[in-house]
Amino acid sequence: MSTEQTPDLDPRLLEILVCPLTKGPLVYDRERQELISEKARLAFPIRDGIPIMLVDEARPLDEDEGSKA
Amino acid sequence: MQTASSSSPLIFDRRALRRQRRRAARRQPACDFLHREVAERLDDRLGDVLRDFPLAVELGCHHGALSEKLAANPRIGTVFGCDIAPDFARAHGHLAADEEFLPFAENSIDLIISNMALHWVNDTPGTLAQIRRCLKPDGLFLAALIGGETLDALRGCFMEAELDIRGGAGAHVSPFIDIRDGGALLQRAGFALPVADLETVTVSYENAFSLMRDLRHMGEGNVLAGRQKHFTRRDVMMKTAALYQQRFSDADGRIEARFDILFLIGWKPHASQPKPLAPGSGRISLASAVENMDESDESGC
Repeated sequence: MSTEQTPDLDPRLLEILVCPLTKGPLVYDRERQELISEKARLAFPIRDGIPIMLVDEARPLDEDEGSKA
Repeated sequence: MQTASSSSPLIFDRRALRRQRRRAARRQPACDFLHREVAERLDDRLGDVLRDFPLAVELGCHHGALSEKLAANPRIGTVFGCDIAPDFARAHGHLAADEEFLPFAENSIDLIISNMALHWVNDTPGTLAQIRRCLKPDGLFLAALIGGETLDALRGCFMEAELDIRGGAGAHVSPFIDIRDGGALLQRAGFALPVADLETVTVSYENAFSLMRDLRHMGEGNVLAGRQKHFTRRDVMMKTAALYQQRFSDADGRIEARFDILFLIGWKPHASQPKPLAPGSGRISLASAVENMDESDESGC
């Protein structure tokens, strides 16, 4: 999914973003361009540098995913 | 925690709203004059607040009518614009977010401002509570949304036409928050110094069809959850337009549409804000205060 030159996320934006469902922290997966909410087991996509913080656009995490953080 | 929709009834179809915004995003912003007009007024109000806002979030950036003004405002540091439609967010903002599920940390934002978006929210108290939560103490919330008696003429004509032709009427125009509810909602959500006021914008249209087309094009068409999912019958539309023309046209045969814009202002509570004193803590009696007023010959009220 990741394009060659993904515009990097504004660190000031990253600092204030939380999971829209749980209000818990997000982990930024730069390679996959996703913001991962462990608590909600959802990955929010970042498309063209725009975080899509919509629950019905998020990808449910696989069972074994996301435990590394 | 504060989920928006589990218990409250769904009035608006937020998916349909996103589809409509997506379509509106592809259009030239020629139809967003109402958004521009209101953005102007919001910006005026913001100008009255003599404060700096290092970090601001705009909820519902649409075609960027307000975003441009915020970016040019020297009192505002960084603005992050969001819209529920990713297309609008990409073109004029920074992220896609649903006003009912705000993705911002507690106590993180100095100003949350919204131009013509919050009238599509199902759970207004929940959304306002989330907004207050995201604001830093003494942070400002300032919003303009459609309210009051907006489009009452269209609502009435639709109902009469449908009752007449189909023998029953569906909903075509949203229910809106009136000014009293606006203040109460702010208070209930825990905002300090809440203010709600209403300004009416009257727009002249060629006929009811051009009014409805414009509403759709600016992304403000009917997305009521209980709307009829098929196209409204042609004879109902014709009759609605005819009734509107009959009752609400001016000398030139143009019709008028009324938009009541509800402005909501509130602050996240902070110790530095003015507060009423505790009852019974006064040290001067009202009678002597009134006497003093008479003496100094001031007509205070």
